Amino acid sequence: MTSLRIFFIGGLISFRALFNWLSPWIYVPSLLIAPVFQVLLFAYLGRSAGVGSDAFYLVGNAVQYAAIPCVFAMANTIAGERQTQTLGIVLATPAPRLPLFLGRSLPVVVNGWLVSLFTLVVGSLILGVTIPWSSWGPLAVTLAVGAASCTGLGLVAAAIGLRVRETAVLGNIVFGVLLLFSGANVAVSALPPWMAAVSPWLPLSHTIAAAREIVAGASLGDVGGLLLREAGVGLLYAAVGLVAIRLLEASSRRTASLERL
Amino acid sequence: MTRIPGVARMLTVTWWLQLKMLSASAFNGILQFVWPLFFATTAFLVYRQNGDPAALVYAGLGSAVMGLWSAIATTASGALQRERWHGTLELLVAAPTPFALVLVPITVAMTTIGVYSMGATLLWGWLLFGIVVPVASPVLFVLSLVVSVLAVAMFGFLLSVSVIRYRTAWALGNMLEYPGWLLCGFLVPVTLFPTWVTWISWALPPTWGMEAARQSSAGESPWLALALCVVLGLAYASVATLLSGAVLRSARRHATLALT
Amino acid sequence: MPVIEADDLGRSYVSTTGILRRRRKTVEAVRGVSFEVGEGELFGLLGPNGAGKTTTIKMLMTLLLPTSGHARVLGHDVVAEPREVRRNVGYVFGGDRGLYDRLNARDNLRYFSELYGVRPERQRLRIDELLELVGLRGREDERVEGFSRGMRQRLHIARGLLHDPAVLFLDEPTIGIDPVGARELRTLIGDLKAAGKTVLLTTHYMFEADELCDRIAVIRSGTIVAEGTPAQLKDAVSAGHVLEVEAYGVHPDVVASVRRLAGVRSVSIEEDGQAQRLLVQVDQGVEVAPQVLALLDGTTVGRVVTRQPSLEDAYVELVGTSANGQD
Repeated sequence: MTSLRIFFIGGLISFRALFNWLSPWIYVPSLLIAPVFQVLLFAYLGRSAGVGSDAFYLVGNAVQYAAIPCVFAMANTIAGERQTQTLGIVLATPAPRLPLFLGRSLPVVVNGWLVSLFTLVVGSLILGVTIPWSSWGPLAVTLAVGAASCTGLGLVAAAIGLRVRETAVLGNIVFGVLLLFSGANVAVSALPPWMAAVSPWLPLSHTIAAAREIVAGASLGDVGGLLLREAGVGLLYAAVGLVAIRLLEASSRRTASLERL
Repeated sequence: MTRIPGVARMLTVTWWLQLKMLSASAFNGILQFVWPLFFATTAFLVYRQNGDPAALVYAGLGSAVMGLWSAIATTASGALQRERWHGTLELLVAAPTPFALVLVPITVAMTTIGVYSMGATLLWGWLLFGIVVPVASPVLFVLSLVVSVLAVAMFGFLLSVSVIRYRTAWALGNMLEYPGWLLCGFLVPVTLFPTWVTWISWALPPTWGMEAARQSSAGESPWLALALCVVLGLAYASVATLLSGAVLRSARRHATLALT
Repeated sequence: MPVIEADDLGRSYVSTTGILRRRRKTVEAVRGVSFEVGEGELFGLLGPNGAGKTTTIKMLMTLLLPTSGHARVLGHDVVAEPREVRRNVGYVFGGDRGLYDRLNARDNLRYFSELYGVRPERQRLRIDELLELVGLRGREDERVEGFSRGMRQRLHIARGLLHDPAVLFLDEPTIGIDPVGARELRTLIGDLKAAGKTVLLTTHYMFEADELCDRIAVIRSGTIVAEGTPAQLKDAVSAGHVLEVEAYGVHPDVVASVRRLAGVRSVSIEEDGQAQRLLVQVDQGVEVAPQVLALLDGTTVGRVVTRQPSLEDAYVELVGTSANGQD
């Protein structure tokens, strides 16, 4: 099997694994309605406190919410394989790891991207935030980088998920950490110094900053540096995740713990 | 079983035993505490920037009550599913006690779990942000909180019977977490909303419970808010009772009481 | 007046399949079931899995609405007067579920005694009495999650008896329980009858029905195929004899040929590990052993026995499936 085939077929499997989420009864409430309300919650919070503009909270939360589809879906894909007891089979194939897991990540990234985009569009309509037409292209690119980067974090969560059973708790905590540290609702400059120091090491922080600049009129070129740093962060997490999965896979072969649910 | 004291005792004992069961589940605990804390902390960080200490107190009290709502939004929709999974739903239906009286203590117990979260959030606000919520009239304040718990539980009662038909009821319940926080005025005054939205807020019992808690904390009279909270709570409970009757008849017709 | 009356009771399920062309499929789980149970009787509903026993009992318990027919318990219609039925009926079912794992035994009983209307002043006494009766005295403060299935079953029975109902419905109470535990449970059930309760028991263990029940109704595919006392059911097949042949690798065609022999009432095959047992029910006065052995020529044959039919044979013939022996 060539790497390209592995990439796409693995992606198809992951897509089907996501099918759980594609049930409209789960997808719509969890991934379409909830993020819009998160935007509204914080936008009104800002209005009540007299701090920050609607656009500030709109962008921050639309991007941050991608953590739900990206981290959860990635962890679920691995957990799902463990449930159907195909994980051992998958990891036992001689297929090269990189295209295998990248293929599985692709639908997750696309899904996260769509969720952020949808939230941004609907949120802007409800709040009456005008985003210039020319900004949507750069925004789309920015959101995609953010989703990809966050999915890298998802790979780490997936690796931890191989050892720990409570992936849901883990996912929610990751979400909360990103809520606090990524600058979604509090400008990084307004954060306590120790939090501000952690912020650039997490996915989505740079994306949020870049997206805010674009909404304020910047071009893609202007935010290029931020996007590169975001991509770097994402790759770092993805690498850690892949290595962790490899190591855990090797150790599980010794201790036969992979299939233990 | 028509004597009031008998019913009151039954409700109390069953509430207590359900609470015992829910408390024993440690896993639930971690997330129930930590989740609202993330949002509370964010709210504090936002309000802190505005420099007005009253705003922090506002957020401190409001975010504590958030835990009550989260407790019910995330668990009430699964109440009957949980009973079905235990195999006890049929036994509850087969009891001579009216089903509404069986279900209400369950949702009240679920909301009571949220009280733990409430305490944790108040403590957190005090420890990390120095927020001290004044309690001008302690008795009225506690009364407001108790009434709020019951009001949220009545909403949970309605939620639990409305979504019983859906396998994915948990997703529908979870979806209500944010709207509840927003519309019940926990973090944001409901007067900020467009008029038609404010009307929706006023139709939710917890909004008045929250209002009563704020008023008794500040030393104002909470009686109107408390009365409205109770009236609305009873209205929701009545609707839920009617609905539960219909739902049960349907379940008996379509044999869905025992499905897993 | 009979305590339990089922009158042409029926229950069907409609399921729709397919996405584009919705096809409706009707499954009749129970059709035209009628029987009566008198006061103080221990009545057995005996049949294989999927025969409709549980469905019938749930209809009588008011948990399922019948799609046809009527039923009355203690004179109250199960559809029109469910509350009155529930007040006087206890429901016990087999298996691991039906109890709150995280509560201890006593708390489980407290919970249900509140719901089933046991008077507060009577509760403590009643709970203690029942724990004693079912042999769980001393274990009441342990969480149910640590209970064995036998213990859970006993707690189930205690729970079913809390409000001292006149009628008890027991749905496969000994399923999955070790032989010793099951025997103790059966003794308990016998004691209940001795105490004057009316009991409706469903089971697929024919020996259990034989041992406990005053009368048995055999149910298969939703209808009752025979009814009577255990003795009467045995009589129905006692004319004639049973030819039992131990064989290895019997071809289905051979079974079909044996069935066609004159005087053969029914043929069934029992799997016993590597070997099989061919059970041939033969009319009185007819001798088929030579023909059967001739048909089995070519297969290895072990013991050949001719014997009187037992209740098990009656059951097997009535339900037309091969019994798996007793677990």
